[in-house]
Amino acid sequence: MRGTAYELLRLLLPEVTLVGLAILVLVAGLISRPSTGAQGQRPIAGWMTFVGLLAIFGLTFFIREGSLFGATFVLDGLAMFAKRLFLAAAALSVLGSLTNPQYPFARRATEYHFALLVSLLGMLVLASARELILLFVAFELMSIPLFLLTGFLKKDAVAPEAALKFFLVGTASSAIIVYGLSFIYGVMGGTMVESIPRALASGHPLMMLGMALLLAGLGFKIAAFPFHMWAPDTYEAASTPFVAWLSVAPKAAGFIALIRLYIEGVGPEALVWMPVVSVLAGMTIVTGNLMAIPQQNVKRLLAYSGVAHIGYMLVGFAALSSSGVAMMLFYLVAYMFGNMGAFFVVEAVARSEQSDGIDAYRGLAQRSPLLALAMLIFLLSLGGIPFVAGFWAKLYVFLAAVESGLYGLVFLGAVLTVVALYYYLLVARSMYIDAPTRRESVPVPGLLGAAIAICALGVVGMGVYPGPWVDVAIRAASSLF
Amino acid sequence: MGLNAYLTLAAVVFCIGLFGVMSRRNTIGILLGIELMLNAVNINLVAFSRFVGNVDGMIFTVFTICITVSEAALGLAIVILLFRVRRTVTADHLDLLKG
Repeated sequence: MRGTAYELLRLLLPEVTLVGLAILVLVAGLISRPSTGAQGQRPIAGWMTFVGLLAIFGLTFFIREGSLFGATFVLDGLAMFAKRLFLAAAALSVLGSLTNPQYPFARRATEYHFALLVSLLGMLVLASARELILLFVAFELMSIPLFLLTGFLKKDAVAPEAALKFFLVGTASSAIIVYGLSFIYGVMGGTMVESIPRALASGHPLMMLGMALLLAGLGFKIAAFPFHMWAPDTYEAASTPFVAWLSVAPKAAGFIALIRLYIEGVGPEALVWMPVVSVLAGMTIVTGNLMAIPQQNVKRLLAYSGVAHIGYMLVGFAALSSSGVAMMLFYLVAYMFGNMGAFFVVEAVARSEQSDGIDAYRGLAQRSPLLALAMLIFLLSLGGIPFVAGFWAKLYVFLAAVESGLYGLVFLGAVLTVVALYYYLLVARSMYIDAPTRRESVPVPGLLGAAIAICALGVVGMGVYPGPWVDVAIRAASSLF
Repeated sequence: MGLNAYLTLAAVVFCIGLFGVMSRRNTIGILLGIELMLNAVNINLVAFSRFVGNVDGMIFTVFTICITVSEAALGLAIVILLFRVRRTVTADHLDLLKG
């Protein structure tokens, strides 16, 4: 087999480059002198990571579709889409954390970025995995560094507690996932994802048990009801630019795994899952939105609203159709820009006010009009107001669900969108109507400002010209059916 | 012994582990429960591997063991970190964050 090594490298280019980048960051961090004091910090690890991620993002446009190792590792439209999404989210998060003034970030920037890159590697492999062992190992490679990063501020009183809660929920759900996978293996007699449809058609009770356990375990990972309780605690305690990433990329990875296992190539057999996923989606939307109302901490508010958004994406998943999956992918991109942008504004305000409370946003429009405007755009997008990305995302997901006949679910989702607007506008009212307690403007470091600006451009761009993004999402989903 | 005997054993071990995770107040106890759950998975995989007649399940088991070990290492590290900061590892006392 001539040119096999070349073929291997060509398809694995993003992963191989990412491994190289992770090692490079680690070695550079070890040989460069540790910076002393908060002022003398040189975030070399952060810059290397950021530039490297942009380069890998560019590289993904030079690889073509194909498969490796007997179709264990595939590069199809969905895999490419997911890889670009993960890389873009990680690059944005690193950009937002480059100027992080917290002491551990200056002191231990190497560890932080190395763990982040390793987790990202897990996500990239997961996007391509079509085999159960590879899928599970990639999932764990993604999850384990996340526990570590949650507890990164280790001298902090709450960060280790949040890390422990996240860890216990995460590993227990992994155990449930792999218990489900063991039954699936037993019934199929192999570990290739492509034999799932045949085993499902046989209707073996152990197969159904395995798939149900798997659904529950993945529900934990994407923080769907009733497995969502870890999300607010984790978000509140971890550092905000990391949370911005945590709230998007691992959720997206969970959805990619769901698509691969429950929809890809399954055909009409997949309709078995429609009632279960519909109920899950409805309950997730209701819980997320209602629990968000009483929150006084904006990070917790965004965490519960994130749970609700997972519910809306599950609506697209429940449609179990090509358009449903495509619109779910579109929703993920809209959610990435809106949610990450909102978290970056939270970070900017928290650095100046030392608080994540809604009170800290009082009169922000008078103090820093641009920052308040950006936050308003993100909140409106999350709420689903026309001409920003979130509106199209919700509309398209609902349209796909209507096509599949899920009228009740769409009605419920539409009603709760109004509830969601209420708590988003509470923050907006605090920014625009309440009188400021202080006069001076909120200082925004340039790089954090750039991250906010990119997110705002993304949200507005997707809102005004949704067409190209929809085409990309439809093309990514078309390879599945 | 048939396959069902092994599957039943695995299910019992898994449920004991799950019960431990739900009911133990000491975080070390919860970690032990998770280990039991993962070991039940290994019993399942090896039994299936034996009765299906290929080695895929055993390969899966090797990977599961590796992952379990790395999770246990990280979990204990977090518990030690928590004990240093808060002087307690009892779940009831970890209430700075309201779920």
